[in-house]
Amino acid sequence: MVTRVKQRMVMSRLLQALPILVLATFIVFCLMQLIPGDIAVTLAGENASQERIEQIREAYGLNQPFLAQYGQWLWHAVTGDLGTALLSGEPVAQTIARTFPNTLLVALYATILSVLIGVPLGILAATRSGSKLDGAIMGTASLGVALPNFWFGMILVLFFALTLRWFPATGFVSPFEDFSQALWYATLPALALCTNGIAEVARQLRSSLVEIQSSQHVRTLHAKGLSPARILWLHGLKNVSVNLLTVVGLLFNKILAATVVVEAVFAIPGIGSSIVKAVLEGDFPVVQGAVLAMVVTVILINLVTDLLCTLLDPRINAS
Amino acid sequence: MNHHDNNDDDLIINGVPMGRRAFLGMLSGAVAAGTLMSPSWSWAQAGGQATLTVSAPANPSSLDPATGGSGSDHALLFPMYDTLVNWDPTTLSATPGLAQKWSFPDPKTLVLELRPGVTFHDGTPFNAEAVKTNLDRSRTAEFSNIRQDLSSVDRVEVNGEHVVTLHLKNPDSALPLILSDRAGMMVSPKALADNNNRVDRNPVGAGFMRFQKWDDGSEVAMTRYADYNGPNKPAVGAISFKIITDSATRLRSVMSGQAQVAYHLDGRQKQMIERLPTLQGFADPTIYCYQFYMNMARKPLDDERVRQAINYAVDREAFVRVAMAGAGEPAFMNLPKSHWAYDPQTAKLYPHDPDKARALLKEAGHADGIELDLRGYNDQSSVQMQEVLMEQLSKAGIRGRFRTGTIADMSAAYFGQRKEGHMLLSAWTGRPDPSLTYSLLYSSTSYFNAGQVKAPEGFDQALLDSRSSDDQGKRQEALARAQRIAMENALVVPLAFRQSIVATTAEVQGFKNNLLGKPKFDNVSLKA
Repeated sequence: MVTRVKQRMVMSRLLQALPILVLATFIVFCLMQLIPGDIAVTLAGENASQERIEQIREAYGLNQPFLAQYGQWLWHAVTGDLGTALLSGEPVAQTIARTFPNTLLVALYATILSVLIGVPLGILAATRSGSKLDGAIMGTASLGVALPNFWFGMILVLFFALTLRWFPATGFVSPFEDFSQALWYATLPALALCTNGIAEVARQLRSSLVEIQSSQHVRTLHAKGLSPARILWLHGLKNVSVNLLTVVGLLFNKILAATVVVEAVFAIPGIGSSIVKAVLEGDFPVVQGAVLAMVVTVILINLVTDLLCTLLDPRINAS
Repeated sequence: MNHHDNNDDDLIINGVPMGRRAFLGMLSGAVAAGTLMSPSWSWAQAGGQATLTVSAPANPSSLDPATGGSGSDHALLFPMYDTLVNWDPTTLSATPGLAQKWSFPDPKTLVLELRPGVTFHDGTPFNAEAVKTNLDRSRTAEFSNIRQDLSSVDRVEVNGEHVVTLHLKNPDSALPLILSDRAGMMVSPKALADNNNRVDRNPVGAGFMRFQKWDDGSEVAMTRYADYNGPNKPAVGAISFKIITDSATRLRSVMSGQAQVAYHLDGRQKQMIERLPTLQGFADPTIYCYQFYMNMARKPLDDERVRQAINYAVDREAFVRVAMAGAGEPAFMNLPKSHWAYDPQTAKLYPHDPDKARALLKEAGHADGIELDLRGYNDQSSVQMQEVLMEQLSKAGIRGRFRTGTIADMSAAYFGQRKEGHMLLSAWTGRPDPSLTYSLLYSSTSYFNAGQVKAPEGFDQALLDSRSSDDQGKRQEALARAQRIAMENALVVPLAFRQSIVATTAEVQGFKNNLLGKPKFDNVSLKA
């Protein structure tokens, strides 16, 4: 019964995702049209004649009406063909397959670090709420939220890569080629990205734990004679887990977006830098394909988060 | 630590939820890997088989010499494609390449004698037929971006296995140097036949490196061609170009040892490189010239006295010092000092002299100074240059404000149909032969002569003379004449030549900058 309900939920959520995908890619397509500059001029090279530029426009279908261009892209995308980059000719699917795993690895790594460091800090602050330690942790957390990733990334590079030489300063290894090397290369970028996450996880966890601990339900448990530790680990954390999971899901999406900047600092061939490069060049098939991949990922992450929430808390209505 | 990589990835891409146990297992794995990993570098076996890792500034536009459009492609193309003609790195004069000799039996005929025993990476022999295939493709194919370069060629004739004759429509002694650029990069005719006449992503040349892979925006890798028999001297086993667009990150990649060479660095980074004992720095002039373009059809720039006044008003030494952090050479003409066609007499025409500028303006009827509509680009270093120049010009009574935008937009508005603005602060990237530079900048039909104003008396003749002889001395005289006329009439305001700034690690040997500012890596080796 439960699984039937879940199946229906997954199906309906996936169906809902379709218009979002179309809308997101359409908006991006519109925005690409607004960017000044003309890729036909770039393609034609230095000192190209107007005639040559027109030829190129014709050859790439850039002279067609805007809606026709989008329609064509959409139709090809539905049939599984994301096209090729206008400038370099690399198939877009290949670009995504090559760069997205790198970005996902860094984002996942950063999310895991955020949880691993943020959760203990949050618990520590909540159990000693009002103490100096609590103040220190929450103060540092505020700092973590305010810290710009790219700046922190450069500080990390300066210290751990250029001075201590523990980690590489730039570059990346594909996780498919050598996973341990990939993690080694991803460590500094993930550290640069997780400061925000740690702060957010710690703050959210603290406030929900503090709230729960002052609830009547917990007061009753105290009255029953349960040890504070048992209350915290068994009842407190169980109650905030849904909350925490939601935060982590959102956090992952946020970190995914933030990788764009960090990829530039560490010269990681990720999907973020592919998008930036393609936007600057006006290479719309690459932008469209990469955005599609990102949107699909975010939708799936949200879906998984919701499913996990219903697992953790049966009261959440799956439908 | 052996993860099943594909699973880890499917997990996210397909959104398959993973169990808590698997999740925790992965977590601990990740942390262990992050902290326990020993920082062991694994790339460098030095010597002839070592891989040279180079941080390059831009993804290539194409790896086919005829279809690419970006000046930054050359550094990646040179190792894979040998050119018919080479150049001397400091003077840019022509030297033998795949053509070991060439001659002009008459001004409208160029005969190339090819180097024997050369093969392309796919084993196809390099011969006269291959040259004809390449030149005909470059000058006629619909998709070719270099048809203009070979527009003087009427017909290519094969005279035996290793002799080619180019019959020209008009005298053109600039051709040998044109054949040192894209037009001279030889592609395997077999690869062209097999690939629909284009090799954008699967280049096959006769250079010392053969193509291995190109990951867009990330890496172009090549390995040594074992049967290389061309004029260059390869000294490493492989080259990997890592594409890093941010110059600060490019420099960091060499500081930390992930790469051994980083090029196209900023002037501001020069001092930093000098302070780092582990790096070798190179800073040499290039023919890339920052300059004011002038629309001479618009008042008051139609008066040569006003244009001369602007040339006297700018302080080029100060410009290099302040706006380029000292990493440049003041430009008094279109060529830098070390170029084979540099003319010291022309270079003396415009010393910094604001009083003279004022006097000239007064003589032209602008005693109260002039007001100009200036255009420029909106990146940080361009804006900095604009500030410095506005200040310098204002001291001679030349006022103006810059309107800025992206390179594509501002250039199109200035040179294109709209003809907006009096002057554009931009750059001239240079051409292998100076006669191309002069005709592209000053001929009345050229796109870069925004006002389409007819060149001064004698200019066209000087240009024609420069192309009618292949004697370097005679060419030098004719080119000096053309340059002198252009500068006396103040057709441009040259400001400064950019330096090519390169940083390498200590183990890199044999690197040399060149005037073109497009590094070649044929003699570069790694110390054991």
